[in-house]
Amino acid sequence: MRFLNSFILGLFLAAGTAQAATSWGFGDAAVSVSAKKADSKVTEKFTEQSPLTSPLSLGSTDSLKLVLTTKENGKGKRPHQAFLLISEPNTGLEAPFPLDIKEDGKAKVDVSQKGLPVQLLASSKALKASLVVGSFGSAAPLDVFAFEIQIKSDPNSPIQTYEKPLRYGKMPEIHHIFRGDPTSPPIVVSLVFALAVAATLPGLFIAWIANGANLSHLPKAMAAAPVSHALFFGSIAAMEGVFFLYYSTWNLFQMLPAAGVLGGVAFLSGLKALGELQSRRLSGQR
Amino acid sequence: MRSLFTSLFLLLAGLAALVHATSSAGSRLLVISDDVAADKETYSTFLGDVESRGFDITFEAPKSESLKLFTLGERSYDHILLLPTKGKGIGPNLTPQALLDFYNAEGNILLTLSSTNTAPTSLVSVLLELDIHLPSDRTGTVVDHFSYDTLSAADLHDVLVLPAPGPYREDVKDLFSPSEDTTLAFPRGVAQSLGSGALLTPILRAPRTAYSYNPKEQSEGIESGDELFGVGKQLSLISTMQARNSARFTVVGSAEMLSDAWIEAEVQKTGTKDKVTVANREFARRVSGWTFKEIGVLKVNWIEHHLNEIGGSNESNPKIYKVKNDVTYSISMSEYVWDSWTAFTVPDTDALQLEFSMLSPFHRLPLHPVLSTSDSTIFSVSFKLPDQHGIFNFKVNYKRPFLTNVEEKNTVSVRHMAHDEWPRSYVISGAWPWISGVGVTVVGFVSFCAVWMYSAPAQSVAKGKKTQ
Repeated sequence: MRFLNSFILGLFLAAGTAQAATSWGFGDAAVSVSAKKADSKVTEKFTEQSPLTSPLSLGSTDSLKLVLTTKENGKGKRPHQAFLLISEPNTGLEAPFPLDIKEDGKAKVDVSQKGLPVQLLASSKALKASLVVGSFGSAAPLDVFAFEIQIKSDPNSPIQTYEKPLRYGKMPEIHHIFRGDPTSPPIVVSLVFALAVAATLPGLFIAWIANGANLSHLPKAMAAAPVSHALFFGSIAAMEGVFFLYYSTWNLFQMLPAAGVLGGVAFLSGLKALGELQSRRLSGQR
Repeated sequence: MRSLFTSLFLLLAGLAALVHATSSAGSRLLVISDDVAADKETYSTFLGDVESRGFDITFEAPKSESLKLFTLGERSYDHILLLPTKGKGIGPNLTPQALLDFYNAEGNILLTLSSTNTAPTSLVSVLLELDIHLPSDRTGTVVDHFSYDTLSAADLHDVLVLPAPGPYREDVKDLFSPSEDTTLAFPRGVAQSLGSGALLTPILRAPRTAYSYNPKEQSEGIESGDELFGVGKQLSLISTMQARNSARFTVVGSAEMLSDAWIEAEVQKTGTKDKVTVANREFARRVSGWTFKEIGVLKVNWIEHHLNEIGGSNESNPKIYKVKNDVTYSISMSEYVWDSWTAFTVPDTDALQLEFSMLSPFHRLPLHPVLSTSDSTIFSVSFKLPDQHGIFNFKVNYKRPFLTNVEEKNTVSVRHMAHDEWPRSYVISGAWPWISGVGVTVVGFVSFCAVWMYSAPAQSVAKGKKTQ
């Protein structure tokens, strides 16, 4: 009885240790990339512990073929999950390729550029391919890195680009660029020309005086018609004053009445003043 | 005796405060379930938590006659919780159109699925409207051979043990993770696959090595890529859609994770030796709290803009500005957290932005928090209006995952400079030659008048001419 108990216990222990040690793996793994013409084929072998060191190059018409045998505890068996996960290193996106497995564990899968999503084809780095093998029960599953794939794009076809879909988030800052303030030329230039213009006034006076300009009839005119001449000349000078006030502070509706009044004054006084001038002309003094 | 009364009063006041806590969108919750009595038992902890947050719960069977989502054009309920039902349909009162009308009327919906029940076709149609896809045959199970609960699912691996999700993105506040290092159990759930719209956001994604399969038809394995529904991060275990009217629709792939058996269960993840209590209860509180608008709700209290110039008027919100005015814009926002409005803080890497735009934005500037009170935060920015005249809008368009949408638009006119607001010509150095020309002309004309009226003929020239 005791012998039987210990024998059964021994069996249980053996079974227990056997269960703890079961794990999934693969063997006879070979990956090959063949062009459409299928005349040249590069086959590389790898194992669970030693993945391929250099990346495989996959062109636009090439097809990558992976063959392996999935094994549970060394014996070929079909697992429920056997995927080749190809991931893009920049964003971490992964595309799964389930392996076609027979009951004895022989598995194969074909990968070509047509089957890869555009996000992976547009990658700048080599894609990483990992094998994930697992199934129900207590056998430990397997997730190992197998090989790298370098996508060779066809130089004739357009470059694959991927537009990221809209996601709500912060948008780039915009600062309005203002038009520059209007600028003036250097002050020196302005001063030179302003002085040149201002210098014409003394030049004018000098030319007048050189040609005999004088004010000698002023006493005669003032004696003949003092009010008219004063008003007439005053209204001309005051009109310039009104124009100056319009430039500096007044608006149109303040300036127009003043200009109208002064215009009337100039007209009425001018009749008399210019009449006096006419009389001097007719008497031969001019 | 007196201390007893005060302690009793305090206790009652505390209870009253607890019951008063409620959602910002109303407290009428409708729970749809096939077997109301059995489901009340199964989900008693979860439903008790929901009720303690101030919801009035009505239980109805899906094919019940008295079930009406709308009364006289208004919603009869504010939120709907759909528990898994057997059978192909869910009755004439829960047609896809009725559920979508409810959703369009700002009603929130929390839908739970289970891999043991086939989802009704009307619910699959509703989900398709939202671009949420279920596996073909309307059912499936998510398994992960790498991270499952060895206590209950040692063989079938259909109870996933996941860490809490963490923030969805660096600039999005994390509303769902109870705290760091918490574990969630996802037993016998259905995975969903989301479309690429901006309104869809997953709360919880499957781990990298998980996948979805149909136990009836794919028990041996998945034959080819066409039959594979999804793997790893392609699968969303808990998905959300927040519509543009801020109504919320959450799909929880595993109704069992809310049940009493799993809401505070102990699990042992593969590869570990310790049993861990899952944080499903707190996670469920947050997921249901988000769906029923108790968290993640924003409100704009007021908006104010004014002219920010020395000597300018201090009228609030004027209708018209001038080009290149300095303007200050302020907005007060609050966030609803469980039972009260609190100050809203923008995550560090995110920004609340003001757009000053006519047809396209001339300025897009970050709004800085200026003042924080107990129930709101005031954000403000000062800037110079563009040198373009026209009709402009102050636009705040803050749409983020898991927060209600904030869209505010204030229209102002921006007038050009008036004719008397330009700098005077004597200030402009380039005008000096012209001004001096005017002066010279004026003086010259007046002098000419004087000389012409009051001069005597020049004798020498006249004489010179006559003698010739």
